[in-house]
Amino acid sequence: MLENIDNILQDLFRLFRLLGIGALTSLKIFFLTLIFSMPLGLAVAFGRMSKNKLINSIVRFFILVMRGTPLILQIMFIYYAPSFMLPEGMKINIDRFVAAIIAFSLNYSAYFAEIYRGGIESISQGQYEAAAVLGFTKVQTFFKIIVPQVIKRILPSISNEVITLVKDTALVTTLGISELYRAAKNEAARVFSTVPLFVAGLFYLFMNSIVTKIFDKIEKKLSYYR
Amino acid sequence: MKKKYFKKSIAAIILLVLIASIMLTGCESSSTGADDSWDKVKEKGEFVLGLDESFPPMGFKDENGEIVGFDIDTAKEVFLRLGVELKIQPINWDAKEQELNTGNIDCIWNGFTINDKRKESVLFTKPYLNNRQVLVVKEDSKYNTIEDLEGKKLGLQAESSAEDALSANEEFKSKLKEVVLFDDNMLAIMDLEKGGIDVLLIDEVVIRYYMQTKGTSFKIFEKELSHEEYGIGFRKNDKKLMGKVQETLEAMAKDGKLAEISIKWFENDITTVGK
Repeated sequence: MLENIDNILQDLFRLFRLLGIGALTSLKIFFLTLIFSMPLGLAVAFGRMSKNKLINSIVRFFILVMRGTPLILQIMFIYYAPSFMLPEGMKINIDRFVAAIIAFSLNYSAYFAEIYRGGIESISQGQYEAAAVLGFTKVQTFFKIIVPQVIKRILPSISNEVITLVKDTALVTTLGISELYRAAKNEAARVFSTVPLFVAGLFYLFMNSIVTKIFDKIEKKLSYYR
Repeated sequence: MKKKYFKKSIAAIILLVLIASIMLTGCESSSTGADDSWDKVKEKGEFVLGLDESFPPMGFKDENGEIVGFDIDTAKEVFLRLGVELKIQPINWDAKEQELNTGNIDCIWNGFTINDKRKESVLFTKPYLNNRQVLVVKEDSKYNTIEDLEGKKLGLQAESSAEDALSANEEFKSKLKEVVLFDDNMLAIMDLEKGGIDVLLIDEVVIRYYMQTKGTSFKIFEKELSHEEYGIGFRKNDKKLMGKVQETLEAMAKDGKLAEISIKWFENDITTVGK
């Protein structure tokens, strides 16, 4: 009896270890994507709000394509397209992981851009007028008056995207990258059981509950007027 | 207003034509020049093997996260003999031809069934293993022949050669009550155990390995639905590279090493190289 329990515990420990290694890769993708896409999203948002017709239409097209096509196809496109588009001699093969990060960053930058824009455009003109009256420059107005208010407004939307990102990391399986979902799928195939897949689900849930908690804390900290 | 849109659309069309022409010129494969496929690999000192690492016993991840399997052991020996480092690259099975043609992998070696359609896009070695698509039922089941399966539910893995085998047997297929498609062989086997399907159509190699490792017994119909052979897939132009691997396999068959690997995984020598 004890030996059985010992075996089960050993198997579970092994499972957790294998899935844990996969989860680390998922987290790598998660953090790298956030680091690149959040600032990039700001640039895209400005482009989208720009009065220059050329910049505006290019950026709008970018946002349309990024949001309008599936991320999984974008990942494949970025990975395979260079091999097809460049002439024979110039075969540059992008590393799988790099291709994935590029695709994720571009894709999420478009979503963040629209969230930022929504937040920025929701600030009433009165704020800008008051700031002008008080002698703030455009840059000062933006960073000291507008941005703090925008952050408070967009936090729930941002949390949506971040949580979605945790789950979207599974899509890199299409390039053969071994993250949490693929690790679970392989283990499930090896032991002919669906238990690893359920445990992977728990891993995702655990990661997202941490994300949710963090956003709750941030929202609480910023609700100093309530 | 009209003039602006006109100018814009002309610009867009020119841009699209430019992009399209770049993509099309890039698509032309190099049909000139000698076959330097083996030389390139020898120079790089590395050969990349592509597989879907969830296909026991041919290639899969073991409990320590290492990729193992009959195909892996064979490949390791082949490249040990050729003096080139073997890199094992997991890929998504539906993207295998893409991965091969873009040079991200140098071969597909994963219980890869040879068929005419695949031969159009891939260069195969000679077959190295026989496999059959067999009908499997629970051990205590009362079905014994194909006729017994009339009006019953059959399960198989989507996009597999099992699906092709069933399509080739129109009469049998039409007599079934239902055909259930699964993402994975593993899910299909579990459904058979559960009783969700009455019969399973699957690679004999996979089901025998399952029975061996799990200790469960199934009844396998004697008459197979189709007979197929596994080969290793290379880029169409890489004749020399494929030739080198083929040579090495034949040498391994001659000196008994291939049989040794087969016995390790299948308890018998079921390879067909040089036979």
